[in-house]
Amino acid sequence: MDQLVDDFAARRPSGLEQVYALWSRLFFSVARHVIADSGQAEDCVHDALVRVWRSPNRFTGNREMLKAYLITCVRNESLGMVRREGRRDARELKAARLAPVSSVDPPAVDPVETQRLRAALGRLPDEQRTALTLAYYGNKTHVEIAQELNVPLGTIKSRISMAMRKLQTDLASAEGQRS
Amino acid sequence: MTEHLGENAELYPLGILDDDAAREVERHIAFCSECAERVARAEAVAASLAAALPLATPSPTLERRLRESTRPQRYANKPRTTLFPFALAAAFALAFLGLGWQQLVLRQRLAAEDVALVTMVHSHFNHVSMSPESTSPVAAKILYARDGSWIYIIADKPGGALHAIAHTERGVADLGAMLKAGETATLLVHPSERVRSIALQRGGTTVASAKLVY
Repeated sequence: MDQLVDDFAARRPSGLEQVYALWSRLFFSVARHVIADSGQAEDCVHDALVRVWRSPNRFTGNREMLKAYLITCVRNESLGMVRREGRRDARELKAARLAPVSSVDPPAVDPVETQRLRAALGRLPDEQRTALTLAYYGNKTHVEIAQELNVPLGTIKSRISMAMRKLQTDLASAEGQRS
Repeated sequence: MTEHLGENAELYPLGILDDDAAREVERHIAFCSECAERVARAEAVAASLAAALPLATPSPTLERRLRESTRPQRYANKPRTTLFPFALAAAFALAFLGLGWQQLVLRQRLAAEDVALVTMVHSHFNHVSMSPESTSPVAAKILYARDGSWIYIIADKPGGALHAIAHTERGVADLGAMLKAGETATLLVHPSERVRSIALQRGGTTVASAKLVY
């Protein structure tokens, strides 16, 4: 097992320190995309990481899987906070998407990875790309997307699910070609 | 064994499921490796989607808060692997004890082994409602093992960060911060000595307290 994953799974302080050093900006970016208020976005990162840290450990994957798992936790924590507090209105979410984060921050985590992602998104059928984009970058629920696009809920779920699986295949293929 | 997750496996990492559906995914993947792998693959895709977000830097206080929150608790002296069954059982038992919001749902959802676990653990712990204090009290309940080996605190609508303070025969001990979970905040600890009473504090003010009788 990866030493970082091993340390994190064993709840050694060094595990959390490494995770924080590597991915705290990514986690904060994920939360900040959902919540305009920086303080509340930090609360979500904090609560998500502490929850995982205190929870019984079922994690046995590799480093990338740990990162993906923690991103999911942070995003779900952030969206949960917004929904709980009833602040899921257009102004709030629009503010979260449009508010400048920092003038010195780079535009994205990894330009190469971003380019690969954009290319993969571009290869999706339009209806799948639209549904997935509204879900992730628009922070909308599948119910809201169905209403916005005037499409049955089951259809939206299928489109998003298929888009995710196609992206998975596409990105894995691109990764294989790169390595 | 319930049915597999289907499309919800891909929807879960996007955070677009409602709370009930998301909890169902989490419960399911705890025992279904096939769906757990499918969710993990979807999480990897969601992580790739995150790569296109503008990068932001948190304040230095976040790291300090994390260090404090994950500092080993004075009472957390037992292996973590023992925590989950108690936490799970306590949560199930809570529903059976009348706070509960989901007895009917539990009957439908719980697998036979879960029911057996609830039945087994139900006879080995006590519970007490905490007395609200201050002008802004909080409703909370404590479940605790009759042998004093574990304590589970649940607060409803905490209204801010809550801290648990224990009174023991040797003095006062800090049990740590309670962790928010939806509309509730919870804390599970394994005391190394018998706890006589617990106070919940919000911003240094006691908002609820209870005595534990063994």
